[in-house]
Amino acid sequence: MEDLTSAPHDVRGAPCVADELGDDALLQQFADGDAAAARVLTDRLAPRSLSVALRFLGNRAEAEDVTQEAMMRLWQMAPDWAPGQAKVSTWLYRVTLNLCVDLRRKKTPDRLADVPEPEDEEASATDRLQDAARKDALQMALSQLPDRQRQAVVLRHIEELPNPEIAGIMGISVEAVESLTARGKRSLTAILAGRRDELGYDDD
Amino acid sequence: MNWGMTMTDDKDNLDLLFAQARQDRQDLPDDLAVRILTDAEAVRLARLNPKPAKAAPPWRRILTGLGGWQGMSGLAAASVAGVWIGFSAPGFLPDPATILYPQETSFVVADLSLDTSFLEDAE
Repeated sequence: MEDLTSAPHDVRGAPCVADELGDDALLQQFADGDAAAARVLTDRLAPRSLSVALRFLGNRAEAEDVTQEAMMRLWQMAPDWAPGQAKVSTWLYRVTLNLCVDLRRKKTPDRLADVPEPEDEEASATDRLQDAARKDALQMALSQLPDRQRQAVVLRHIEELPNPEIAGIMGISVEAVESLTARGKRSLTAILAGRRDELGYDDD
Repeated sequence: MNWGMTMTDDKDNLDLLFAQARQDRQDLPDDLAVRILTDAEAVRLARLNPKPAKAAPPWRRILTGLGGWQGMSGLAAASVAGVWIGFSAPGFLPDPATILYPQETSFVVADLSLDTSFLEDAE
């Protein structure tokens, strides 16, 4: 039996026929018992899930857990997938974002300290925000957006998805996506402008 | 301060940050890929080789062997009938004791089971 997990270098196999198939077909092949299909789907889809989760959560360990769980749900739903009804990537983005929101809701107060939150006490938050902002100004600003704005902005400007696909992922109209991304960008601009003086970027 | 110029700078800055974020997208870490593929393999194998249903507890297996609940009710009825026949055999049935132990043996059985006078003597 083929062992998929023996060593990392085995995980990324040589290019094969499966690379040219669509996600739908690969998912069907996996459901039919083809292990190679899982490898191609993982290479193709998991990085996108990780990227979105990382930008949404701002925490690598949590983002990796979310991606693993989202992919697990993909493997489990493979036999029930109806080809053509939606893109597999759209489904995975949606599951990923839902898992992120669930995780954020379940977070205990202790773990909230891991990420900068605007509602924290001003004094300590400033130190933490400065530190976080210097590491990643965008991440700091994103973390202050409401969930829906953050999702729309990440999908539009970092994942570079078209608005109709974002609408499908978020279950809203294209107009609502445009509104969310516009408001999100305005908020980010304002946050970054407000932080610029505090962080002393002008002095650099 | 030229506010209009600053706003433009901030927007440019945001676009630069987005571009940087897009470039910063990393490959899937190997250990995460292994975790994901381990899950996929487990799901795949479970689908190919569905596990047999969990072994039933012993009492249920015995029950099944005896024909399930219906078999059990029949068995209970037969047991009751057997006990009843043992106590009060109908006249048309032969006495099994006389078949197995004709004559004198049957007396021994009768003596052992019915004669309790020796107990009274002991007291």
